[in-house]
Amino acid sequence: MNNNVPFPAVVSAIRPLTVETSLITLDTDPHHPVAASFLPGQFLELSLPGVGEFPVSYCGFPSVDGSIELCIRHVGHVTTPLQTAAPGDGVGVRGPFGHGFPLSAYSGLDLLLIAGGLGMAPLRSLLLALLKQRGLCGRLTLLYGARETGALLFLDELLEMQKRGVIELQLTVDRPGYCLNGPPDCRVAMLPDLMDQLDVDPGRTCAAICGPPVVYPLLVSGLRLLGLTDNRIHLSLERRMKCGVGRCGHCAVGTRLCCADGPVFSLAELAGTEGAIV
Amino acid sequence: MKKMRVAIAGLTACSGCQLALLNCEDELPELFEKFAFHFFPMACSPALLEGEYDAALVEGCLSMPHEKELLLELRKRSVHLIALGTCAVWGGVAALRNGEDREWLRQQVYGHNPVASETFEPLPLHRVVKVDAAVTGCPPEKEELLRLLAGLTRGALPVGIDYPVCTECRMRENLCLLTERDMFCLGLLTLGGCGARCPSLGVPCEGCRGPVPEANLAEALEIYSEKGFGRITVLDRLRRFCPEWKL
Amino acid sequence: MAPQYIASHNLAALLDRLRRYGELHGPVRGDDEVVRFAAIAPGTLPDLSALRTLLPPKKYLLHPQETILNYTAAAGYQMPAEEVRPLILFGVHPCDLAGINYLDRVFLGDAPDPLYAARRSALTLIGISCTPDEFCSCHISPSPLNALTDLSLQSLADGYAISSGSPRGDELLEGVKEILEERDIAVPEDTRRFFGQVAAEPLRQELDATLPDWQTLADACLGCGACSICCPTCYCFDVLEFGGLDGRSAVRLRQWDNCLLKCHAEVAGGMSFQKNRAERFRYRYRHKFRGFGPLQGIPSCVGCGRCRVVCPAGLDLRPLAERLDEGRHEQ
Repeated sequence: MNNNVPFPAVVSAIRPLTVETSLITLDTDPHHPVAASFLPGQFLELSLPGVGEFPVSYCGFPSVDGSIELCIRHVGHVTTPLQTAAPGDGVGVRGPFGHGFPLSAYSGLDLLLIAGGLGMAPLRSLLLALLKQRGLCGRLTLLYGARETGALLFLDELLEMQKRGVIELQLTVDRPGYCLNGPPDCRVAMLPDLMDQLDVDPGRTCAAICGPPVVYPLLVSGLRLLGLTDNRIHLSLERRMKCGVGRCGHCAVGTRLCCADGPVFSLAELAGTEGAIV
Repeated sequence: MKKMRVAIAGLTACSGCQLALLNCEDELPELFEKFAFHFFPMACSPALLEGEYDAALVEGCLSMPHEKELLLELRKRSVHLIALGTCAVWGGVAALRNGEDREWLRQQVYGHNPVASETFEPLPLHRVVKVDAAVTGCPPEKEELLRLLAGLTRGALPVGIDYPVCTECRMRENLCLLTERDMFCLGLLTLGGCGARCPSLGVPCEGCRGPVPEANLAEALEIYSEKGFGRITVLDRLRRFCPEWKL
Repeated sequence: MAPQYIASHNLAALLDRLRRYGELHGPVRGDDEVVRFAAIAPGTLPDLSALRTLLPPKKYLLHPQETILNYTAAAGYQMPAEEVRPLILFGVHPCDLAGINYLDRVFLGDAPDPLYAARRSALTLIGISCTPDEFCSCHISPSPLNALTDLSLQSLADGYAISSGSPRGDELLEGVKEILEERDIAVPEDTRRFFGQVAAEPLRQELDATLPDWQTLADACLGCGACSICCPTCYCFDVLEFGGLDGRSAVRLRQWDNCLLKCHAEVAGGMSFQKNRAERFRYRYRHKFRGFGPLQGIPSCVGCGRCRVVCPAGLDLRPLAERLDEGRHEQ
């Protein structure tokens, strides 16, 4: 398959989630849904013609009809103009690329998901996949932190899952913000603080983490304190994957390539790698 | 499609950057299709600031009170404010005074003319307003200018360049004027993007595009000094286009 | 069969015959004394005395800046239609041949890069032996890369021993046979011997970031990019896209990049994973001497010495690399 040329896709919906974040739904060719057949944790290269291309994690559930959900923060060179995209606009997609979360390794185990900020996007994809095969895992716990209540993504969905009893949810924000109707039981604390009150069985728990790089060291030491081994901790790393096919040389982590060998790595794989977790 | 409303203004400068735009003759018809130049005193009359602008391109540095007022007004009215050319981005040649006292020089040139007494030390735009993007160069490269405008129609600002003139000079497989010919070439410290225009013709880089990010001035001064160019000589040359170069 | 031999005075005739097979390029000294790979004008000889060209032959396979995609609203993104004509590169030294071998591994591996693959298949390589100078290190650090050629020439006193390394080379030899002689001569050992002689070493030992050497290198580095541009195996590229004024068209370019520059490891919002130049030197070391992804364990330095020759500050990563490599053997 030629992964060098973006396939045409059309924006079918764009829904603002926060001031600077949107959920964009794309339609690709339903007869050829290559880019829509992915594993949670893999990424896509999205092109805005005339502006550029950027890597972005899949955020939804793999579809058979070619539709793709992406959660995009409009802060970059390409993502800023994308904020004013409208249904019907043409874009380009290449992917999926990289390795996702090791779903088969989670079989029969409890899973602890930890998301910080926009890191909720790929973990939502993982969560949706796990809920689809409900028998696969035991307990599903999600710790999710954002800067303020207004920045918590997919809150309605997550609270609904919690209500249905399919996930255990703990929310936190760095500061209360101005949103008066914050979610119930949302703490004001840093994300790693949520691990203090955690009750997990380290012998049967895996962790999947995605968040801003600054929180990784604390999260990792917290998980180790809980007794999790490094091969059961998986993290998604953010790098500047420009080509997606292991050639441009921008996304190396140690001597591994984020685009080809990641972006999801086990902590064991990253042991001692300079710059892997900041 | 609705045309973008654009303002193009010149402050203290030679108007060469505005001219660079007017010199895009082949593209002018297309530019007029996409842009409405509502304020462009150099090229259109009347020149009245009216309503809001999608973008303001400003040439030149600030050296007079009325320029500051115009700039603030443009900033208020514009979604994007873009520094056009070296003077707007870095300060440029207007600040040249060979280390002489400013007051003394003014007396020498203008005597007691009250207008001249209002001038102040020339400043790049970013000292006074938020600048959203910059197109450097004396004058800017035509290609860069057109890419900026094409990007604006898509809501995009240009991606900054982080490499010096040397990078492009090597890509063109040029002889190195500094190391091989002992010529006073400022390519090492100067922002690229010009395709090493001058060194490719055997003319040393004069530094017209301003400093490259993370310029290693300390090491460069060592190298220049080995070639017989002292630090004062180097700094004077650097400050010709960017008065804010510091040790 | 006795070795094939071509006398020096027949070199011009050889070049003329080779022109039948494609455009002929080789090292040519310019008026400015710079030696570059360029077209060998009919009636002239390439400069076979020069040890290194300023840019390596990678410039034929990956252009410094090139269009990789064109976009139109009607057709979407499409690869550019490039007419690739047969090119014969004459007088390529073993290090540059090994460099091409490395680029082949990167760009012709899984899912070959279409632009590279087309140019590579149109390229005929004619190697020539050389004698290392004080900047070369091919003879100090053997490389697992192969110095593959279609034809190769080895300098003798008054001519060259010539041998084929591929079916393409056999075809060329056949085509020029009337100017070759079979001579019972002692062919000296091929300088390509420095290549393809050691196994790639998988290696996971981490770098000692506390060594002061990294900062020493970083302090002296001017960030000019010359080292990677002139390197036969540096292939990192940046990707740029520019829209047309018509609002309906665009081009996407790739351009040679340098890992020592600020933007190389930046991600959205300006955060960087290699904030300072010392970290970036370690990135460079890892890429050059340890390899990324599928090429882990294969050092890509072919010892051509260009980085040392062109660095305005005279920097050299090799002594540190050699020390670190010694450490690697002890472990």
